[in-house]
Amino acid sequence: MLFDPHFIARLIPALLQGAEVTVELAILTFAICLIWGLIVALANSSRGPLSWIAGAYIQIVRNTPLLIQLYIVYFGLSMIGFGLSGFASGLLALCIQNGGYMAEIYRGGLQAVSLRQYEAGRALGMRRWTLYRTVIIPQVVARIIPPMTNQTISIIKDTSQVAAIAVMEMMKVAQVWVESSANTYDVFLGVAIIYLVLTSVASLGGKLFERRLAFAQ
Amino acid sequence: MENTLSDASSAAIDIVPAQQRVMLEMSGVSKRFGALEVLRDVSLSVQTGEVVVVIGPSGSGKTTLLRCINLLEDYERGIVSVDGEPVGYRLDARNQRVRLAERDIAAAREKIGIVFQSFNLFPHMTVLQNIVAAPVRVRGIPRARAEARARELLAMVGLSDKVAEHPVRLSGGQQQRVAIARALAMDPKIMLFDEVTSALDPELVGEVLAAMQQLARDGMTMVVVTHEMSFARDIADRIVFMDDGVIVEQGKPDQLLFSPRTERVRAFLRRYNDRYRI
Amino acid sequence: MKEFAPLLHGYWYLFRGAGMTLLMAATAVVPATLGGVLLALLQMFGNRFARSAVVAYLFVIRGIPLLVLLTFTYYLLPLTGIDLPPFWGVVVVLACYYAAFMSEVFRAGMLSLPRAQWDAARSLGMTRRLMLQIVIFPQALRLASPPFVSLCVSLVKATSLVSIVGLWELTMASREIVERTLAPFQIFLGAAAIYFCICYTLALYGKHLERRVLGGH
Repeated sequence: MLFDPHFIARLIPALLQGAEVTVELAILTFAICLIWGLIVALANSSRGPLSWIAGAYIQIVRNTPLLIQLYIVYFGLSMIGFGLSGFASGLLALCIQNGGYMAEIYRGGLQAVSLRQYEAGRALGMRRWTLYRTVIIPQVVARIIPPMTNQTISIIKDTSQVAAIAVMEMMKVAQVWVESSANTYDVFLGVAIIYLVLTSVASLGGKLFERRLAFAQ
Repeated sequence: MENTLSDASSAAIDIVPAQQRVMLEMSGVSKRFGALEVLRDVSLSVQTGEVVVVIGPSGSGKTTLLRCINLLEDYERGIVSVDGEPVGYRLDARNQRVRLAERDIAAAREKIGIVFQSFNLFPHMTVLQNIVAAPVRVRGIPRARAEARARELLAMVGLSDKVAEHPVRLSGGQQQRVAIARALAMDPKIMLFDEVTSALDPELVGEVLAAMQQLARDGMTMVVVTHEMSFARDIADRIVFMDDGVIVEQGKPDQLLFSPRTERVRAFLRRYNDRYRI
Repeated sequence: MKEFAPLLHGYWYLFRGAGMTLLMAATAVVPATLGGVLLALLQMFGNRFARSAVVAYLFVIRGIPLLVLLTFTYYLLPLTGIDLPPFWGVVVVLACYYAAFMSEVFRAGMLSLPRAQWDAARSLGMTRRLMLQIVIFPQALRLASPPFVSLCVSLVKATSLVSIVGLWELTMASREIVERTLAPFQIFLGAAAIYFCICYTLALYGKHLERRVLGGH
């Protein structure tokens, strides 16, 4: 358990470079899945074959490990000729998985805002679009912030699995450094601290957002 | 010497210590929630066998007062004693307030039965299990004896046929009667009722009030918080009016309800009479 | 169909891998649950020191990816001189990680009980221990069972990560076959199907529990 300042001085920039990739992956996944998850959720709540496909999609991605999904995208796609880079495969796999999870979050939020709100609005003579815009959607947004925050933290942590397909995000960088030096403890400490910072920022961001919305209402 | 006989009988009464005649003694109880003073230096004395009904507007502190008796709510000043024993806090040799040990508080609570507004039956147990749980596990009474007593109590409240049911299958009034039986199973010296009919459909109120009437007739000491004015008039030996954390007035039902001395009580009853008829 | 020949030849090996996956998950679930209950109790009823310790533990464990914990335990454990077979090392890490999440589930279960239940139990003269034993726990565990099953599904999926540190289970088994047959698409799809069967079954059971819990009260 050494504490070698020279080592740390060289380690930190390398870790931060990896963290950059981690953050890139996380932000892109989050942004894409906000939309993709909504699409899946809408498809799921519609009627007809689309609903069945969306439902099956959600169940499949929720009940298979991310790692297997990563391997299928990275190795499987290249096998049939659609080879993607590590980063792109990672992004695709993360989006596929989190799209399913976010769709469930949207569904939960929509269900929670009670039918009565809809009925009350209609009774007041509101037209459907106004009703959705001023009553339903603000409440749904407020309700999904906590699970969305949790999902963001989940996404940040899941990016670490992309190390398995040799993408130089933070976990992979750490692996390389551990294998080439004896300072395992310092590397661990550095990685742990940076991840904690990232997840704490996400968590605080979510809470701030919640509070701002509470005032706006 | 015309009064020899009455002298003798009054002497006999004096032999019974005055303590035993007072079942509940609350002195100087004060409580605040943050900046809000919910109870201000409230003192109340209830005799054995007396039925005291507490009325007053919402927020007057009447429910809090009840919950302070068995220390479901903590209070900053004052002492509560039931059957001569302090509950929650006692005074030490220097007259300072000392909190009792958790075990003593739990033991004191056995003597105080309470029935809540929202029945509070244990949903994962049957009616019988609800009633015998405390006697068996807290008092150590053998299960067979506890179950026999439970059946007696259920018969008393008219629910003998519901022995093996779960609370979810009972109506509100039935659940409330089971709650009364459960509290009675511990052989309390005093029974507290916290707006026990407020959450019930009107047609179920009567059966609960009937059970309470029976208890009063049997000589149980009772403190009842309620909105039901006609019931208050029927059952109470004394009515206490609370407002804003203090006892404003108390007296016999007919006196307080029909010729109250203070304006606050008059105003409250006027508002009440406009909507109902006593 | 001919393309799936590698899968048809290797499926039995995959099944054996699945057996190891289940063994790992089942072994980790027990300490995870007990640890979760312990953490929840300490957080709710412990003294200030215990509470801070638990909160710190939860913050760290839930903010760091499981892969980081697995990797660094793999490298660091031999250095501390503890001689633990890899299987048990992995089980310990999984248990420590999931105990943190389970404690939140149990705590939520206990806190969601109406305060009236606590009032009623206390009023009958029950000590805290008795109250927890016969009134609070039975109800809280019932309420917590659907999210608990959810965590079990997550645990099964998480076992796939141990393949990255070289332990053998379903994911590792599928990687081995892929290396031999160079047919990643079919093999990983087969592994995904096996994971799906296990996890979806658990998820259905969780849904069943959810219906019972919500309907019963």
